[in-house]
Amino acid sequence: MRYRWNRMPDDNEVMTTAANDDVTVAVVDDVIRLRWTEGVIISEPAARIAAAYVNQLSSDRRRPMVVDMSLTAAVTRQARTVFLEPGAASCIALLGRSPVDRVIANFVLGVSNLPCPTRFFTSETAALEWLSSVATG
Amino acid sequence: MTDPVEDPRLNQLVDLIVELASGDLAARMTPSPARDTIDAVITGINLLADELNAVYQHLEARVRERTVELAQAQESLQRLALCDALTGLANRSLLADRIGQAVARAERGALPPAVILIDLDEFKVINDSLGHSAGDAVLVEIADRLRGVVRETDTIGRLGGDEFAIVLPDTAEGEAMRVARRALLALQVPVSIGGREAAVSASIGLRIGLRGQDGETLLRDADIAMYRAKAQGKSNVQVFEPSMHHAAQRRMELLGELSEAIDREELCLLYQPIVRLIDGRIVGAEALLRWEHTREGTMLPGAFLTLAEESGLISDVGRWIIVSAVRTARDWLAELTDDVPFRLHVNVSAGELRRSGFAEFLRTTLVEHAVPASRMALEVPATALRTDEPVILHVLAELRELGVGIEIDDFGAGGSPLAALRDLPVDGVKIDRAMIDRVGDAPARQRFARAMLDLAGAVGLAAVIQGIETAEQRAEMQSWGAVMGQGYFFGRPVPEARLIEIARTGTPGPIGRAATAPPGGSAADSGEKIGCGREDSSSA
Repeated sequence: MRYRWNRMPDDNEVMTTAANDDVTVAVVDDVIRLRWTEGVIISEPAARIAAAYVNQLSSDRRRPMVVDMSLTAAVTRQARTVFLEPGAASCIALLGRSPVDRVIANFVLGVSNLPCPTRFFTSETAALEWLSSVATG
Repeated sequence: MTDPVEDPRLNQLVDLIVELASGDLAARMTPSPARDTIDAVITGINLLADELNAVYQHLEARVRERTVELAQAQESLQRLALCDALTGLANRSLLADRIGQAVARAERGALPPAVILIDLDEFKVINDSLGHSAGDAVLVEIADRLRGVVRETDTIGRLGGDEFAIVLPDTAEGEAMRVARRALLALQVPVSIGGREAAVSASIGLRIGLRGQDGETLLRDADIAMYRAKAQGKSNVQVFEPSMHHAAQRRMELLGELSEAIDREELCLLYQPIVRLIDGRIVGAEALLRWEHTREGTMLPGAFLTLAEESGLISDVGRWIIVSAVRTARDWLAELTDDVPFRLHVNVSAGELRRSGFAEFLRTTLVEHAVPASRMALEVPATALRTDEPVILHVLAELRELGVGIEIDDFGAGGSPLAALRDLPVDGVKIDRAMIDRVGDAPARQRFARAMLDLAGAVGLAAVIQGIETAEQRAEMQSWGAVMGQGYFFGRPVPEARLIEIARTGTPGPIGRAATAPPGGSAADSGEKIGCGREDSSSA
């Protein structure tokens, strides 16, 4: 099932994918995949909706998560505070390609006291490997 | 890819940094779609600017918050500095300021201000008997009542303790007097505290200002008038007159001298015999205070004890009396055999009784001089004895336990409560013969005197009739059933050495009667018996 909503999902809805204009979230191979839409400015409401999607799709347990933030335009200060709140992700790999992504990602990482292990990668393979290694402990 | 050196974004970046540096923290630059290193720097600077702006906004908000807090604190400090915390009335400095303003208005053509000074009568009794929080509640109520009697233009202040003042700007005498009288009436109504009624009243001084007078003078004069009101029997209004000034100056002078009188050994005690009527045998003596003033001559207590009470000097004077009397008792007892029934009577005021440690002080003094407590009796004015005052009851019980005799002085005068006879831990009463004399014809007097004596006897109290001046009076009192008496017939107050002679012979006889009388006669000393006593006889 795939939903395109610009609203928060209800608690009892069962989904494998959720998306709106800003973000797409799916659970693939037991990994949460979150992809920000190209050119999006991640605001606090957008971040909250994304977090709600993640928590909804992985409501049964915590899973590793890949956040593809290549091509995001910016992330606001308020949005960064959302990343401080614990959610369904057990560890997070931030995936980017350009130096811009790296700067944005490191501002996110700069938020102290992240709720789970979080790192920035430019290679998806490396990201998944790290997630797998963290997940298996 | 553009050569970094020629890349126009670098110049734009420099502009952005300049803008940010100039204080425009909202300045931003959009990165290019290239998302290269220069865009990463742009993005980084944008994000750092966000941070900087957020910190700045946060600090700004904090500064605004603190500024408001500071202003509030300053305002409340100012209020504290100018207002009396308990009553919310103006304090002394605000009041002085208001008088100053009123004086300045008078210089511009308005009428000079009037100043009213109010001092509560017997407020200490409320504090001592009902506690300080009750006292505070009374002060708050008094403040409210005063608010109800003044005009909008007037300022009420609390000068401290139980002293209040009202400044009436641009006010003629008639209007000022009306406000003062309204205050007097408002303060005569008892205050209800916790279901109990506390009687209050105030002595009020009014100063009608004259053009050119400063605030300090107005307050001082109102204060002088207030003291005159106190001296006139309290609960009245007195308007300042220049003649009061001299009296006040003399009062201050006297106060200064009184504070040195003990050290200069100007105070002394005289002793008036108390005898058994049936055989004239001396059974005791009452210690009476005198001040041998270098300029004024011998002064009776009425002339200076009110002053001592008001100034607090009474504490020192009272202790001096106790120590001197006990020392005298020690000397006498060395010369008297144990079977001679002799008691030394000392007057104490209610104020002294209320003072903490009074019983302990007396006990220590007696022990130091090896004087048995049973040889001492304290005479407490009837007006001071209220059965509902725990402090007094407590100290009387302590003294009783010590073994000191306690007598109600001037019983029957000034509305002595009958309940006091029954409920207070006392041993005897002293009744003034003059009080009996005022009762109608001889048969009526006899009935009255008998009733008084029976009443005392019924509750097991010994009675001493004071003011016996002639053999006829003595015989009359005796026929009415009185057992003990005191008065000029038996002896005037005499110095210590003379009294011991009298005590040794057993009867006062002619020795006592011939002894020195104070100047100005006897009962002139009819002031309060505050730690002093009035010599006993209604004429001399």
